[in-house]
Amino acid sequence: MSADQTAGQHGPHGGRAATESAGGGAGQVGPGSPGVGPTPVAPPAGQHDRRGSGRITFTGWMMAPGVALLGLLSLIPLVMLIMMSFSRVRLLGGLQLEFVGLENWARAFGDVELWKSWGLTLGYFAATLGLELMLGIAIAVVLNRLTRGRGLLLPLILLPMFVAPSIVGLLGRYLLDPTFGLYAQALQGLGVEQDVLGNPVSAFVAVTLMDVWEWTPLIALITLAGLSGVNPSVLEAASIDGADEWKKFWNIVLPSIKPILLVAILIRSMDAVRYFDIISVTTNGGPADATKIVPVRLYEAAFRFFDLGYAAVIGIMMLVLTIMIARLFVGLLSEKETH
Amino acid sequence: MSTHTIATPRRRSTHRRGSGGIVAVVFLVLALAWTVVPLVWMVLGSFKGPGDVTASTPQWFFEPTWRNYENLFSGANNLATYLNHSVIAAVGAAVIATVLGTLGGYGLARTAFKGKKGLSFWFISTRMAPIAAVVLPLFLVFRFAGLIDTLPGLILAYLTFNLPFAIWIMSAFFEAIPPSLEESAEVAGCTRWQTFWYVALPLTKAGIVTTAVLCLVFAWNDYAFATVISGPNSQTLPIAATQLVTQTGVDWGQLTAIGTIVVLPMILVGLAVRRWLVTGLTLGAVTGE
Repeated sequence: MSADQTAGQHGPHGGRAATESAGGGAGQVGPGSPGVGPTPVAPPAGQHDRRGSGRITFTGWMMAPGVALLGLLSLIPLVMLIMMSFSRVRLLGGLQLEFVGLENWARAFGDVELWKSWGLTLGYFAATLGLELMLGIAIAVVLNRLTRGRGLLLPLILLPMFVAPSIVGLLGRYLLDPTFGLYAQALQGLGVEQDVLGNPVSAFVAVTLMDVWEWTPLIALITLAGLSGVNPSVLEAASIDGADEWKKFWNIVLPSIKPILLVAILIRSMDAVRYFDIISVTTNGGPADATKIVPVRLYEAAFRFFDLGYAAVIGIMMLVLTIMIARLFVGLLSEKETH
Repeated sequence: MSTHTIATPRRRSTHRRGSGGIVAVVFLVLALAWTVVPLVWMVLGSFKGPGDVTASTPQWFFEPTWRNYENLFSGANNLATYLNHSVIAAVGAAVIATVLGTLGGYGLARTAFKGKKGLSFWFISTRMAPIAAVVLPLFLVFRFAGLIDTLPGLILAYLTFNLPFAIWIMSAFFEAIPPSLEESAEVAGCTRWQTFWYVALPLTKAGIVTTAVLCLVFAWNDYAFATVISGPNSQTLPIAATQLVTQTGVDWGQLTAIGTIVVLPMILVGLAVRRWLVTGLTLGAVTGE
């Protein structure tokens, strides 16, 4: 509620939602901060706390260290990021921010290459998520029907989730090396002779499949949790009525795991703009920009060309996108809560 | 407002069908192979000599050797130093996040005030913020503060995602325990701290361990922050691994050995908390097996 009310008050830029959420947080640093007595806090607190203002002080103190540290760690960079986006940033001879107005913003919005990267990011996201959902749900359904051996199989299926994405990328390179890679040789046996990571289309497919390898287990794990909530007697009744397996899945199982799948989709979609390690260590955006998703472009702009102001604009675009996803996520949670 | 929903407390009953059909079995075998083969190949590679690891016909059987591991920890390769950096940075970030997250999460779960929704939203959106968007301003701030290429800098960088994660998820774990227990403790004369320490904390032990493990995994596996913020004095294992890839060629024996060193401990701690994994990884949105 309060978040919605403050939404309109803040800045004119893409950072709106960010400042809004930050504002919500900053407002709360006070009550918990050391040195702020209970008296000034009591009025707003007392109205809402069932057990009186003393408890607020206690919970406020509990939150204070975390909130204070996070405040430093998130607000300073956020302000810095917004400032950078309106500046030309010089690193040599001491840090200097030279105000250039909307120059970086105009450049970013007029940059066809950047929009291509956004399109590619969307394609990468759709391809990875689509495959992960299909495979993850299928694995969960099969595992769920297993009478024995599930306790042994599930941990094996989960393994890729714990592998550092950068190692996934390096391992992918090892497996796909045209002269000795295990998978490359298998592909050559099937008649695919080219260097997989050297060709735009196959490179895109390869980095997609590496992401699928790593995160399908997460979808399977989440779906499995959802499947344990499907009412078995409903399934039985459907079988008695003559429904086949596919119909049961489509009409009973899928609708009942839909909320959980929505969670999975949102979690994966925020990760899609978070993780780029795999691409960074395999193709680093190439060949011919075929895998240059937005975070890779940001890194290139910032740390290869040191065009930090321009990179900041890309950063704010990404931040706005994730804040929108976070909003959907929180909305989903509170919607479920009221039911 | 809160975090804990879509509870599916019902355990699966005995209702399971024995035969999933031959298609299901084949699918499962293929899925298992797809999952496990790359990891097996990596571990095998780490025990291969220079001829076997890049043999043009894949070698499933070979003379195993410790050579790659020995080389990594001797001579010009000081992997022990990088291992040290990784441990300090990841454990440091995990411990600080878990302690502050447990305190903060309890505070958040057991309070109700007007800005709570906004505060929660701040936590979740900070957790979800893209690393690329965070590391960029952090790079400038850290340069100014002299934190580039230091382990404290790396720990602070990892706290930008671990701290909001820990607060948020611990609050979900605390909300899952009924407040009535704590209320009766308070009626019995416990102070609030005692209630927290002796009643709430023991009930969320599994949650705390899960939070710590996930924070450890997130920080240990990081590449995006370390590639910008770390340097010779704070290089971590994933960075050391990627730096083995050079223009002139790659020592795949050593590289698969580093990969094994990076991956193995995380698999062990990760699987140890797998019952609570789904809650942790969905930020408290799903509770299940």
